[in-house]
Amino acid sequence: MLLGLVLAVPLGISLSQGAGRFGELVSDPMLLKVAGTTGAFAAASVSLEILLGLLFALVLHRTFRLRGWVRAVALLPWALPTAVMAMSWRWIFNDTYGVANDLPLRLGLLREPIAWLGRPATAFAALVAADVWKTTPFVTLILLAGLQSIPRDLHEAMEVDGAGPVRRFFWITLPMLRPAIAVALTFRLIQALGIFDLVWVMTGGGPADSTKTVSLYVYDHAFRYLDGGYGAALTCAAAAAFFAVAAGAGALARGRARA
Amino acid sequence: MSRFCVVLIALLAGAGGCSRKEGRRVVRFLDQPDSGGAWKEIIARFEAAHPGVHVELVEGPPATNVREDMYATSFLSGDGTYDLAYMDVIWVSKFAAQGWLRPLDDRLPPAARADFFPGDIEGATWQGRLYRVPMRSDAGMLYYRTDLVKKPPETFEELAAAARELQKPPGLWGFVFQGRQYEGLVCAFLEVLRGFGGDVLDEKGEVALDRPEAVRALEWFAGTVKTISPEGVTTYQEEEARHAFQEGRAVFMRNWPYAWSRLQQEGSAVRGKVGIVPMVHAPGCASSATLGGWGFGISSSARYPEEAWAFIEFATRPEQQRLFHFRNGAVPARRSLFEDPEILKESPHYPELRRILQAARPRPVHPRYPQISDAFQSHLSAALVGREAPAEALRRAAEKIRAVLRK
Repeated sequence: MLLGLVLAVPLGISLSQGAGRFGELVSDPMLLKVAGTTGAFAAASVSLEILLGLLFALVLHRTFRLRGWVRAVALLPWALPTAVMAMSWRWIFNDTYGVANDLPLRLGLLREPIAWLGRPATAFAALVAADVWKTTPFVTLILLAGLQSIPRDLHEAMEVDGAGPVRRFFWITLPMLRPAIAVALTFRLIQALGIFDLVWVMTGGGPADSTKTVSLYVYDHAFRYLDGGYGAALTCAAAAAFFAVAAGAGALARGRARA
Repeated sequence: MSRFCVVLIALLAGAGGCSRKEGRRVVRFLDQPDSGGAWKEIIARFEAAHPGVHVELVEGPPATNVREDMYATSFLSGDGTYDLAYMDVIWVSKFAAQGWLRPLDDRLPPAARADFFPGDIEGATWQGRLYRVPMRSDAGMLYYRTDLVKKPPETFEELAAAARELQKPPGLWGFVFQGRQYEGLVCAFLEVLRGFGGDVLDEKGEVALDRPEAVRALEWFAGTVKTISPEGVTTYQEEEARHAFQEGRAVFMRNWPYAWSRLQQEGSAVRGKVGIVPMVHAPGCASSATLGGWGFGISSSARYPEEAWAFIEFATRPEQQRLFHFRNGAVPARRSLFEDPEILKESPHYPELRRILQAARPRPVHPRYPQISDAFQSHLSAALVGREAPAEALRRAAEKIRAVLRK
């Protein structure tokens, strides 16, 4: 009841403000561009995070000395405030002082420094790298919990039948892990599609709007252009789209497990 | 995230406003943290002369755009948190067009404006009415290394030629400026554009960006990247450019006056080797600096407009601007202070700076300036990183800005 009210009141206000402005969304070429950028960012970062997260979860699932300690350290990036960590990444990718140039230069991989955040493609890749670094621990945590809920006897039973670790992974671990993957996917997609602070600090949407995301675009309209009506229309449409994509992807991951 | 912070802070500040004590007339404004303590001193002086009036400085975040949003959120909700609006020059038309400010024409008659720089007054005017009294001035200029450059350049060709001759990349580049996609990029390019005789809007208010002089300007500007400027200049804001210059890694730099005192600090590699001149221009054209600067307006929702005005009148007097200069490093907005012997002793570059400020011009004064700037920034950035040819970038920017003006 309370939750309903908390949700319904702002939603109702935005809808009443944005009503009549939804038509403009269709004919906004910039919206199409930022939606494409946001989608590409979410797809790239979330898929990398799920892959890496799965890998880390499998490693952390094994018993070894200092496991508790390693698990705690692995969570650190996730615990850092995004704006602070984005500032550090901006320095890492700096053309003169950045580690991202210094190391490859010393190793002879690069001949001259690259302005990572100064080129559209590398700026986008830098954002994905920073996001993956920060949120892979979150995915790891969820998948680790999923791994620990898989009964050990299943593995033992298949081992007795002569199945190797690879077969066991694809026949037991992955199918049993699907609910956990679905949860991680849903959460991560919602966050990645709504990305704001990381981009705001690292590139400000540039160069040439190549890293401008939907949230930055909404911010421009609602706060900088003082066009609350269009901002509200954008927000509602974006929220609905993000939710649909995330829920759809989650259901897909879960659905296959049942089949 | 920062959106929520803004709303939250505005709400908190608003809540504070409700609990004010009876009989206490409070005048409140928002600025960045009072680093040198000048505001504290100015407010103490004012309160001593005006018993019963209290001036409250809300120390907000240093990021200008965040403070703009804080003012805008407060004015939008009409909560009356801020009685005074301490405004960057580009906010004036946006705030005035929303009806958030009171006109100040009667309070500051033309005779009282004579001591201020003409650009500061022009930027404080919207549809023929004055909405802001200048407190500090600001304008872009060209810094150069006096130990490397014998005769400072006057034209774009001279600048490029000197840069090419003196630079030894990657350790020493010819020219650094603000090339990241943000407001500073517009400021930097506007000086080049006007130096080539172009502008964003012509006298009739028509978009003039797709004209030949503008194309020549952007061809020159975009042509600096990877020839006389490092590729990374497309990620630079003011501080990145200053670091490059201060560490001796650039011959020329476009920046604001604030950089001067930092370049002259102990430990700076270029201490005592810095000169300033107006930004260069094309033969037959004049240099024109992009104007920044801050000043006070009175909010429409101010509870005590008379007290608010009394504070504005007091704070913008020469004595207070002088203190603001010494304590917080601000450039005064009053021309008479550029002849002040004590200021001149400490800032020998002020006669040159005065010449630059005198010719400085504001960015296009329009309530939808943020949209104009965004359209412009995006295509300037595209030209700098080589995504769009200069003529193409300007054509698209002009199209978008025309659409914004038609709305």
